[in-house]
Amino acid sequence: MKLNIEGLLVYFPYDYIYPEQYSYMLELKRTLDAKGHGVLEMPSGTGKTISLLSLILAYQKAYPLEITKLIYCSRTVPEIEKVVEELRKLIEFHCKETGEANNFLALALSSRKNLCIHPEVSALRIGKEVDGKCHSLTASYIRAQRLSDPSLPSCRFYEGFDAIGRQVPLPPGVYNLDDLKEFGQKKGWCPYFLARQAILHANIVVYSYHYLLDPKIADLVSKELTKKAVVVFDEAHNIDNVCIDSMSVNITRRTLDRCTSNVETLQTTIQRIKETDAAKLKEEYRRLVEGLKEANVARVTDVYLGNPVLPAEVLQEAVPGSIRTAEHFVGFLKRFLEYLKSRLRVHHVVQESAPQFLKDIFQKVCIDRKPLRFCAERLRSLLRTLEISDLTDFSAITLISNFATLVSTYSQGFTIIIEPFEDRTPSIANPVLHFSCMDPSIAIKPVFERFQSVIITSGTLSPLDIYPKILDFRPVTVASFTMTLARTCLCPLIVGRGNDQVALSSKFETREDFAVIRNYGNLLLEMSGVVPDGIVAFFTSYMYMENIVASWYEQGILENIQRNKLIFIETPDAAETSMALEKYQEACENGRGAILLSVARGKVSEGIDFVHHFGRAVIMFGVPYVYTQSRILKARLEYLRDQFQIRENDFLTFDAMRHAAQCVGRVIRGKTDYGLMIFADKRYARADKRGKLPRWIQEHISDGSLNLTVDETVQMSKHFLRQMAQPFRQEDQLGLSLLTIEQLESEEMLKKISQMAHQA
Amino acid sequence: MASLSEEVLLVLKKVRQRKQDGTLYLMAERIAWGPEGKDRFTVSHLYSDIRCQKISPDGKAKIQLQLVLHTGESSTFHFSNDSSALTDREAAKDLLQQLLPKFKKKANKELEEKNRMLQEDPVLFQLYKDLVVSQVISAEEFWANRMSTTNTENTLSDKKQDVGISAAFLADIRPQTDGCNGLRYNLTPDIIESIFRTYPAVQQKYGENVPHNLTEKEFWTRFFQSHYFHRDRISTGALDIFSECAKQDEKGLKSMVVQGVKNPLVNLLSLEDKTIEEGYGFSAAASTSNPNRTGKENSNSAIIKRFNHHSAMILAAGSRRGDAPNDQASETSSTDGNSRDSDLFQPPIKKVKLQEAIDYLDLQREDGPKTVALNLKKSDRYAHGPVPLESQKYTTSQDIINSITCIRHEMANYVPNLAQVLTSSAVSSAIAALSPGGVLMQTGTQQAINQMVPSEVQGELKHLYIAAGELLRHFWTCFPVNSPFLEEKVVKMRSNLERFQMTKLRPFQEKVQRQYLSANITGHLEEMLQTAYNKLHAWQTRRMMRKI
Repeated sequence: MKLNIEGLLVYFPYDYIYPEQYSYMLELKRTLDAKGHGVLEMPSGTGKTISLLSLILAYQKAYPLEITKLIYCSRTVPEIEKVVEELRKLIEFHCKETGEANNFLALALSSRKNLCIHPEVSALRIGKEVDGKCHSLTASYIRAQRLSDPSLPSCRFYEGFDAIGRQVPLPPGVYNLDDLKEFGQKKGWCPYFLARQAILHANIVVYSYHYLLDPKIADLVSKELTKKAVVVFDEAHNIDNVCIDSMSVNITRRTLDRCTSNVETLQTTIQRIKETDAAKLKEEYRRLVEGLKEANVARVTDVYLGNPVLPAEVLQEAVPGSIRTAEHFVGFLKRFLEYLKSRLRVHHVVQESAPQFLKDIFQKVCIDRKPLRFCAERLRSLLRTLEISDLTDFSAITLISNFATLVSTYSQGFTIIIEPFEDRTPSIANPVLHFSCMDPSIAIKPVFERFQSVIITSGTLSPLDIYPKILDFRPVTVASFTMTLARTCLCPLIVGRGNDQVALSSKFETREDFAVIRNYGNLLLEMSGVVPDGIVAFFTSYMYMENIVASWYEQGILENIQRNKLIFIETPDAAETSMALEKYQEACENGRGAILLSVARGKVSEGIDFVHHFGRAVIMFGVPYVYTQSRILKARLEYLRDQFQIRENDFLTFDAMRHAAQCVGRVIRGKTDYGLMIFADKRYARADKRGKLPRWIQEHISDGSLNLTVDETVQMSKHFLRQMAQPFRQEDQLGLSLLTIEQLESEEMLKKISQMAHQA
Repeated sequence: MASLSEEVLLVLKKVRQRKQDGTLYLMAERIAWGPEGKDRFTVSHLYSDIRCQKISPDGKAKIQLQLVLHTGESSTFHFSNDSSALTDREAAKDLLQQLLPKFKKKANKELEEKNRMLQEDPVLFQLYKDLVVSQVISAEEFWANRMSTTNTENTLSDKKQDVGISAAFLADIRPQTDGCNGLRYNLTPDIIESIFRTYPAVQQKYGENVPHNLTEKEFWTRFFQSHYFHRDRISTGALDIFSECAKQDEKGLKSMVVQGVKNPLVNLLSLEDKTIEEGYGFSAAASTSNPNRTGKENSNSAIIKRFNHHSAMILAAGSRRGDAPNDQASETSSTDGNSRDSDLFQPPIKKVKLQEAIDYLDLQREDGPKTVALNLKKSDRYAHGPVPLESQKYTTSQDIINSITCIRHEMANYVPNLAQVLTSSAVSSAIAALSPGGVLMQTGTQQAINQMVPSEVQGELKHLYIAAGELLRHFWTCFPVNSPFLEEKVVKMRSNLERFQMTKLRPFQEKVQRQYLSANITGHLEEMLQTAYNKLHAWQTRRMMRKI
């Protein structure tokens, strides 16, 4: 259908539309008009992606000078592929309606692991190995060496791309990962490098968060992307953690050992080159004297995306003399390593800030702040000069140099914690230096600064005001949309008590309480007899799940559950869990029914959907608080309190509730779907917890379902499931939660929709 | 006496039956008992009549063996030989145990099969009544080519009766204490079968060890004592014969894991696009190292592994029989499509799953007839004739309903186009021609039969048709007559047909005539019979000619 969104003609590739989709597009259009950032929450399964794509595509077509590119970031590879497929559908529809040939280029980009077509390299399958092998075949000086020695192995796909592919732009169309591979195979070009190049002139790019947020990768891939772009972070509820992860560094004794051997290799290589080709080192020296002017020019003229590891001051200055020659730099690194080793020899926990660390290092080994800051850049230059092919071997020294640059650049937002042993095993020495980022805004800042509009969206972003706070940006639109429903297809229930009136809770004091564990078991057992097909249960942590499963096993509860359904359990091993998942789906498919025991914050809770019969009920055992005893977390909480005035408890609850919402949200993937959401902890009934759930879940929690016993829950579930089992046709939805174009354009409906958006 | 020629397998003296001492004989095909000093058997049961045997529990004063027959009767034998009563009983029991299943299988399997077919298929039953019970043809003739054609069918129906395994079958083996520090497990054949089906490794062990190394009882005792059964217990040592099973399972599990999953959407390994490199990330430290797990944690994770494995095995056992060929088909298709990433075939399953994941069914208009695109892989094959490549669903019932509603809808909205009508004279002549008795309707004057005759006559007619069809089928299968057996049969079939005509068709015709005007509803039947006679006649004359 064709929609009129405040004067913009939007092609929407379906015959009907949900009211909230329309409303979402309205808000999105306003954000784009204002050239600002937005935070939009809309339940999963209400067609968020297609609304986003339809509107932005229309906007791009209507105002090609305002927005030249859409950068769509998602989390997982299947998600990325899904987005591209939806895009394909949209563009096909667009062409059919307008009768024009498609002139848009849209593509997905992923790591070499998913794009390589070289038969030997792609067979490695593990990301790091593929990258390393690829690098050893395609690095520029290796190829230069090959000119003199043709017996060296090469990658014919890269050579093909380099010879012809660079000049020929990718023809317009929609390219998913497999399409790229097919295209590459046909032409004999490397799909990975083809895609890397094509994203510069593509209209729509779909890739994972890391390509924008991780400075190490962003610098390689995304820094030349145009400023007039819309960036969308989908499934963005965990974006702060991604940011922090990409900026934090952990150093163990093993890292340092590997560094030492790295440094030795460097030293011998330098020695060798000095004897054979001293001119090369001289040339490098000259370059370093000139400084990093080039990069500086580029940033000033706004060609590049900023890199938080390469601070602006570094660009204006020349590399300090003390580390300019290769030998001096290696010596410098050695000193730095020795210092770190001495720091790891502590017997008690140390926590200090970056300036304290710098002061200490200056006093002890006379290392200044300034050369430290150039460390990362200097190492990169050296590695390039020394022509070292397999960079994966040098990951340890790269890590250390990145750490050096970060610690000397940011006086705030980071903390250093040195732990001589793990908390659980105090007798075994395993010293770790955590250099942890506490401020997610550092990593994402360049993105907000560079791009015209950044949209953060997800099914669960509540409470909405916290994201702009912790990411430190000012959105022009903040909105939450609910799901309009013709029948209430979700049924959130809070179970607070067992049948014996024992309060159910996963809080620390009652964790080992047999009465609670037994009642949890009873709940699962009863539900397994009532709910058809699949049930997913989430525990707060892996340890907790292991203990509960063991005691359920001893008490014979699992045996009784097995009478009703098969049991599958998530394990720490991803391959094993994948198999369990597939078997779980098979069991749901063939009618036997199954239960999946899983962990909140685990891979399953983050990446797997349980549509329709794959999940008719989800049970959340306990409130998934993060492990609060960790020092890193404590430091982060303190930082949040001091910098953003967010109280510790508020943040912890927010974090726990967003994970709980993620878990329970896995079962509802659309309006024809239905599912029970059982929160098995009495603490969910409290207003401060409940209030942090997304609005579309919250509004279905009635006062009567706040503190149920197991029996009451079973009764209510039975009632709900019986209702849901009735046939549900399209006509039932029409006019309420599903609109035709005529219905959409009626006065009354438009009024309703505008009200809906205002509530947010 | 017939028993003289029988092979006697076991003779047991001092066995009482109904308080009378006597001797128990176990023979090749029956079990018999005769009172002491007499030369005849007062009790004699064919093995095939025996449903099961029961024994008195150990430790009871009377050592007895009871045989329960299919008819529900039972006879009890009391072993009263003081010194060897127990061993006698055991001997009898063991021998019976071996013999009974053999006979059970044999026990008129065919008859049962026929019986089942008749019960399942009412039409066949009616036919049987019409033809066999009324002695038009003999039962053997009736079944003669029935069985061969149905053999394939009944294998199919066998499959559908495959019952899955309860997930909790191990839990159903409840140990009971026997009061003196021991445990008793009760195993039924069902449970044993479940164990074997779920854990083929155990079955293999069973095959290897029983009965040469261990008795059955010992085998199961060890099974229940083993580390294998109680997976949460930490290993008991290498002596355990099941430790190998555990290893095999482990291997199986590993190979399953290595094989990976077919559905890319649940593959957690390929979920992450770019894993955080080693050393980065704030949560990395927590999971880096836990080399020293305590014993308890170890056993916990063993339990978890075991549940996953157990569930997977049960699922596999359920599907192993049914889709064995299917599985292979998908296996081969995946090897040429998706086995390696390097060859660039689009993994079809991935495409399908992705499409499924992005479809919003309720946003699309429901109607619009679904069509199946003609997909010709080899067009020459298509041109040469229809070869059923694979069973494809062409119309779902939903489609049919849709099209009916579609037609209904069109009919309701039918608006005659008044500009394009025939002249009245043309119309009236057309109507006349199409009315009963008109020019165009002469060949098909019959009105629909359901308007002419009451339902019971219709039913009778239907039966007649079926019976005639069956007979004619027999008749026509004789052609071409190329063996003396067929010659004989064809003549016999002719007489069968005639008999059918006399005993069945005539009375029916008369009945119809009595009730109605000469409604020629049996005309077609007679026509068919006549064709058959003609054929036979032609054949006979040709044969005569040749002979002369």
